[in-house]
Amino acid sequence: MTEQIIERPALPKRPFNPTSVWLSGWLALIWLIIFDLELSFETLLYGVQDIFEYFSRYSRPNFEDLSRYVELLGQTLATALWGSTLAIVVAVLLAPFAARNLSPNAVTYRIARELLNFMRAMPDLLLALIFVAALGLGPLPGALALGVHTAGFLGKFFAESLERVDNGIYEAVTATGASRIQLVMYAGWPSIQREALGYMLYIFDRNVRMAAVLGLVGAGGIGLALHDTLRMFNYDQSAALIVVILATILTIDYLSTWIRGKLN
Amino acid sequence: MAKIIIKDIGKRYANGFEALKGVSAEIAAGSFTVILGPSGAGKSTLLRTINGLETPTAGTIQIGEQVVTQNNLREVRSQVGMVFQHFNLVDRLSVMTNVLTGRLSHRSWLGSLLYLFRRTDLDLAHDALIRVGLTDKAWNRADKLSGGQQQRVGIARALAQQPRVILADEPVASLDPVASEEIMGLLREICTRDGITVVVNLHQVELAKRFADRIIGLNDGLVVYDGPASGLDRVTLSRIYSRNGDQVDEQLETMLAYA
Amino acid sequence: MSNSKLCWPTPNGRPGLVPTLSLLACILLLVISAPALELDLGRIVTAIPRMLAFAGNLLVLPDWEYLPILAKNILQTIEMTFLATSIALVISLPLGILAAKNTSPHPAVFHATRNLLSLMRALPELVWALVFVSAVGLGPLPGIMALSFVTVGFMGKFFAESIEVVDQRQVEGVVAQGASWLQLRTFAHFPQAFPDFVGTVMYVLDHNLRAAAILGLVGAGGIGYDLVMAMRMFDYDRLLPIALSIYIVVTLLDRASDHFRMRMI
Repeated sequence: MTEQIIERPALPKRPFNPTSVWLSGWLALIWLIIFDLELSFETLLYGVQDIFEYFSRYSRPNFEDLSRYVELLGQTLATALWGSTLAIVVAVLLAPFAARNLSPNAVTYRIARELLNFMRAMPDLLLALIFVAALGLGPLPGALALGVHTAGFLGKFFAESLERVDNGIYEAVTATGASRIQLVMYAGWPSIQREALGYMLYIFDRNVRMAAVLGLVGAGGIGLALHDTLRMFNYDQSAALIVVILATILTIDYLSTWIRGKLN
Repeated sequence: MAKIIIKDIGKRYANGFEALKGVSAEIAAGSFTVILGPSGAGKSTLLRTINGLETPTAGTIQIGEQVVTQNNLREVRSQVGMVFQHFNLVDRLSVMTNVLTGRLSHRSWLGSLLYLFRRTDLDLAHDALIRVGLTDKAWNRADKLSGGQQQRVGIARALAQQPRVILADEPVASLDPVASEEIMGLLREICTRDGITVVVNLHQVELAKRFADRIIGLNDGLVVYDGPASGLDRVTLSRIYSRNGDQVDEQLETMLAYA
Repeated sequence: MSNSKLCWPTPNGRPGLVPTLSLLACILLLVISAPALELDLGRIVTAIPRMLAFAGNLLVLPDWEYLPILAKNILQTIEMTFLATSIALVISLPLGILAAKNTSPHPAVFHATRNLLSLMRALPELVWALVFVSAVGLGPLPGIMALSFVTVGFMGKFFAESIEVVDQRQVEGVVAQGASWLQLRTFAHFPQAFPDFVGTVMYVLDHNLRAAAILGLVGAGGIGYDLVMAMRMFDYDRLLPIALSIYIVVTLLDRASDHFRMRMI
């Protein structure tokens, strides 16, 4: 019987799969961190046990101060609204300069981009601390801090959307002899209408959450009340406050989803 | 109406590629000129140097009595309307507002910021829409129109500028044959009636022959033919469409089909 | 011609109904809420020289002895971010599968998970940090717990959304091979959603670093505590170094994630 030696074409050499390297690196890093932060499983376990007991203390919310809470809530919402408005105004002014295809020259582009980055980098709570030091307690420094910080985000989002517009549309409006401002108003903003509104809603949503928290640094609003009640271990009132905050955030969330649905 | 003088235009890119290698032509005022050539010949580049969307690295462009420089671009462009292959309308704006962008160079920055126009601007836009036959779509969103309709809006936008020149960069390349006829006919009618100088880039030789007074054949950045449409015989066509200098006489029909 | 009437590009020359009404509504809201803001122009004006003086105070030589502690605390902040995000990632993957309409085992599970995630991200991290500090004491642990908790809320939602926009045809291909429930999700859904996952993780890391910097405010670890203390004790020689190092670290991560994102695309 003749043997037929069939040659199998060999497979090409398997490309190196870095996944296992990444995975082990990641696990090593986590282990290192747990070690460095001196986190112990015991504390976590005891903590978790305690947490259940701890959460049960919040089970009897006390709403007797509700009218005051609602007033504070109004202050929080006002902070978020004005902060977002400031952010929108600044972002709308800066974004065209921070878009590569709309900026008059490379220098203004770089400056606008860096300015937006700078506004974004400092966490708003820390900005609020600084503004409170300068302007005293109250919702105004909170609104300013929110405005500056979120202007950075909004400006970057706007600029990136403006850059993504089909260049042909910019060319067409430029070809009619329009000035740069007219180009931005007629080819830029109308083209990114829907995205821009989406970003603005997102920022407002986010600012409501942050405004609730800003009270912790004395920037007014309902956060301050929560800080006080927690410090005095007044769990019933804290629970009531948390419910109020939660209800507000969920409502705003729901509203902005509804508006976003209407946009599409 | 204005004549266009193209003198020794060269365009070299940063990577060394030379799109135009010394093109000269004098386009008579009120004439209908078609630029023919294979893809990559430099047709688009040439057209775009006329209104400054491309800056030539050599040579000059003169429109009427005015030489196009980096400083008078807005002024030049307000007199020169442009129609694009992909229409380039602002999708979310209405047809009317799109046409009105043709009036922007005559508006103050403050008024246009608030989307305010003068009655006279609206009347001009209205007239332009009548010319292209789209008055019933004036308030529709631009992206809700068919391709042919969108291109007509593009032409209306150019007309609203009350231009001396209209440039059309492959205006029918994205349209079906019926719409192509419509658009070319419209451009020709505008040229004849209003005396506007029209320069069109095309790759369809048949359309060029039917609508053009004069044809400029471009190949590899150089003018290889400049004369009446009647002068387009097999020899000149193969000169325009030859690649890498080969004479491909026998396959001419095939070449033209894919040009 | 220049004294011709001005009008808008609409059939009746007046601006559209929707933009006008929405603008009016916004202005109305702003006006109503203005008193709650305690806007006082006088206060702002008097604050300006105070701010300038404050800024001047910042420009002193840094507290050299403090710098190593600063570095340690910044490192702690970074570590908290990384650990919390990792923990959240592990939990969010299965939750994301349960919260996506096309991979959830049952509509009841889908709705329950979606609502759970919504609640988890409703309250800001700082509120949870406050609560956890009360429960387990000071230090980075409550901060990590708070960060992980809220992050799961966001990541779970983003993951679920990425899974839902997966190409059904690719899924059908794997179904036709007779894959099991888990195999289907591993080999058809996960690989497609993976690029979006990576983008989400980058965005979340970015956000969490800023959040972690704040948590120290309530004693939940990180550099926030240093900043608050420095402000309260007027340690001007520490303030600028702290603020600068936060700025630098956040910016570095920002650039790194931009760079990474470009490479992925």
